[in-house]
Amino acid sequence: MGKRTGFFSSLLPLAGFCAVYLVLLFTLQSQYYQLMLILVSVWAVMGISWNVLSGYSGLISFGHAAFFGLGAFTVVLGQIYFGITPWIGIPLAGVVGAVAGILVGLPTFRLRGHYFALAMLAYPLALLYVFEWLGYQEVAIPMERENPVAWMQFSDQRIYGMIGLGLLIIAIIVSRLIETSRFGMSLLAIKQNELAAEAAGIETRKWKLRAIAVSGAIAGTIGGFYAIVLLVITPDTVFGMLTSAQALIVTLFGGVGTVWGPIIGAAVLIPLAETLHAEVGHLLHGIQGVVYGVAIIIIILVAPEGLMWKVRDIMQARRAAGEPPAEIAVAEVVANPGPLPDRPNAMSGRIMLEVRNLSKSFGGLRAVQDVSFTVPEGAVIGIIGPNGAGKTTLFNLLNGFQTPNQGEIIFEGESLVGLTPSGVCKRGIGRTFQVARPFKRLSILDNVLIGAYVGAATDDIALKHAREALALVGLDKNADRLAGGLTSMEQRLMELARALAGKPKMLFLDETLAGLGGVEVNEMITVIRRLSETGVTIVIIEHTMQAMLRLADHFIVLDHGALLTEGKPREVVRQDAVIEAYLGKRWRNRA
Amino acid sequence: MLEIRNLHAAYGGVTALDHVSLTVEKGQFVSIVGPNGAGKTTLFKVIAGTVPAQSGTISFEGKDLLSTSAFERAHLGIAHIPEGRQVFPNMSVLENLEMGAFTDAGQKQWNENLDFIYGLFPILKERAEQMAGTLSGGQQQMVAIARGIASSPKLIMLDEPSMGLAPAVADSIFEAIVEIRRQKNLTVLLVEQRAMEALESCERGYVLETGRVVLEGTPTELLSDDRVRQAYLGA
Repeated sequence: MGKRTGFFSSLLPLAGFCAVYLVLLFTLQSQYYQLMLILVSVWAVMGISWNVLSGYSGLISFGHAAFFGLGAFTVVLGQIYFGITPWIGIPLAGVVGAVAGILVGLPTFRLRGHYFALAMLAYPLALLYVFEWLGYQEVAIPMERENPVAWMQFSDQRIYGMIGLGLLIIAIIVSRLIETSRFGMSLLAIKQNELAAEAAGIETRKWKLRAIAVSGAIAGTIGGFYAIVLLVITPDTVFGMLTSAQALIVTLFGGVGTVWGPIIGAAVLIPLAETLHAEVGHLLHGIQGVVYGVAIIIIILVAPEGLMWKVRDIMQARRAAGEPPAEIAVAEVVANPGPLPDRPNAMSGRIMLEVRNLSKSFGGLRAVQDVSFTVPEGAVIGIIGPNGAGKTTLFNLLNGFQTPNQGEIIFEGESLVGLTPSGVCKRGIGRTFQVARPFKRLSILDNVLIGAYVGAATDDIALKHAREALALVGLDKNADRLAGGLTSMEQRLMELARALAGKPKMLFLDETLAGLGGVEVNEMITVIRRLSETGVTIVIIEHTMQAMLRLADHFIVLDHGALLTEGKPREVVRQDAVIEAYLGKRWRNRA
Repeated sequence: MLEIRNLHAAYGGVTALDHVSLTVEKGQFVSIVGPNGAGKTTLFKVIAGTVPAQSGTISFEGKDLLSTSAFERAHLGIAHIPEGRQVFPNMSVLENLEMGAFTDAGQKQWNENLDFIYGLFPILKERAEQMAGTLSGGQQQMVAIARGIASSPKLIMLDEPSMGLAPAVADSIFEAIVEIRRQKNLTVLLVEQRAMEALESCERGYVLETGRVVLEGTPTELLSDDRVRQAYLGA
């Protein structure tokens, strides 16, 4: 995606696929095999629809039949009651699907994980009974003998095949556009870590609603086309469990989160199931169901992410075997950056962040109690304190992950209390996470790009910001490497670059040094200092005290949720109260 | 009783334990102190079996622990009382204790253990039917410790029992640990950030810093060594 060629590079296989499809369509004389090709296009599009929501964003839907069925009934009922031709009815079905998507998404996105998946199951089931209750047990499309072409009625099935292919091409292009833009990147970020995505400035709710609208539109459209192909629909065929399952199965089989996955899945599974049904269906009733079941089991065992990823991994491994391992060039190695040169003016900048009487309780536990402090522009502030002192809670309050019970957080004259994490990020505060969670399938550059969208009007500016951030942490020479093989040090640097790419004025670092070796700690200190010199204000939580002493201009010490003391690092660590907080209250009077 | 040799462990490439060796003799009270992030909790998790070791050995009463699965280790007589208490919040206090008594020894000695627990923490008897999640932090810590005792262990491992507790409450928890050991003749392995409290009640102490044992010795030796303070505060 970093490369602008991402979108066009997929056109070649698309052209190849179309050629094969058309050749088959026109060489296979049997109507039966032609129908099978049409069905491949239908289920491939349905798989793409499912993939746009569930594959990219990770919100698994068991209810895509709702959109599919609404689309099918829109076309059929539109023709029966309002005389709307399917040429208009099918696009209309797409609109109905999109609206249904938004209506379903608004309440259902309150749920997460398997709760979301199960709630989605309810929509097609409810609709199935509603349509049966309305008396649409079986609805046929009326035959139009006057001008069949105007009503999308053809005696030659191959024309349906071409329409199906056309819809598939549209779906592929839509899916590809999503994948190569900030839309797709935002969904991927949500899939990986919704909280981190919020912190990177991504309004997760907005993007999820967009995804379900697009997904619903695709499903509604293809549902409408399916009704035309079948001529007769029943609530059970379009809203039934098998419809939702088939969308999911073709995608899981072919490869989740890829454009080609659903197509590969449909091209393999639909003919296989249909052929078996035709050949041995009279002996083994329900053989298709068995095929889908077995396909899922094999995929789970052999290629849990789908065929597409498996093949890609094998090819990558083969390519990598031929090449020498990429040498990572980290910024100039500094043996020991020594203590921070005394910066007498570090704490005299303009007040950027002001925290006043901040409190947060969980039940009876007062995690943060009446904490007040200020952060001047350009300073490096260390928040320290023993385990359980409330450092992480304080961080979460400042970043909008939790709402304080009391108190004020003023950043650049504006209150941050009540803002979402993405809202906090948009105002110029970036953060890193203690546990780095890179998107392993993406390049380093793309990983950083996700954080760049918040401060960038266009995707090109975002790309520029991402490259600048990589240069700042010294990862620019490795921008195209996949993030999967990074060392923990490189992951931390990448995480740092992601936070920087949003052009924050202030940066919160959560244990950036934890678990790093001595040389790595020195490198990281060098990088963080370089950031500080570019003018970013830094607030850091860190346990590695030696490192903190060399890094921070000022310490804020928490104990039992309250501010214990603050001041110059070297003075603070010699204070009795601090020693007692860390080592126990009787340490001074020992032995 | 417990012997750890050259233990190495890492999370996703980040080294958490680097060639850690330590010995706990039968009936001994051993404390491991050190600042946050030193690897204390990881060490406990490796002993309990919830985090795998990269290399090194752990033997418990001569048995190789690393080739024993986590749930079997509980049956060998190791009770792990995890950091942050981890009670079952929607179970009553008594049900929490019953969950601890899943081992054979715990089943056999259930009545005896329950009497002991109620003698030690009378408040738990009063609150036996209350949901554990509604107790105060100190009381939840008592439940967590009592749950460990209910398994009739030979070795009890406590991970930061004082974490997040007010000093007075933490003191009473430490007193209870000393009392348990005296009456039950248990072997105790304690991980603590509060060096003073942990070292003054133990027989042998280890100081862990960034995954390595930097100091070990008797409490008197350690308490008079300023390097302990440096391990925490850097300078």
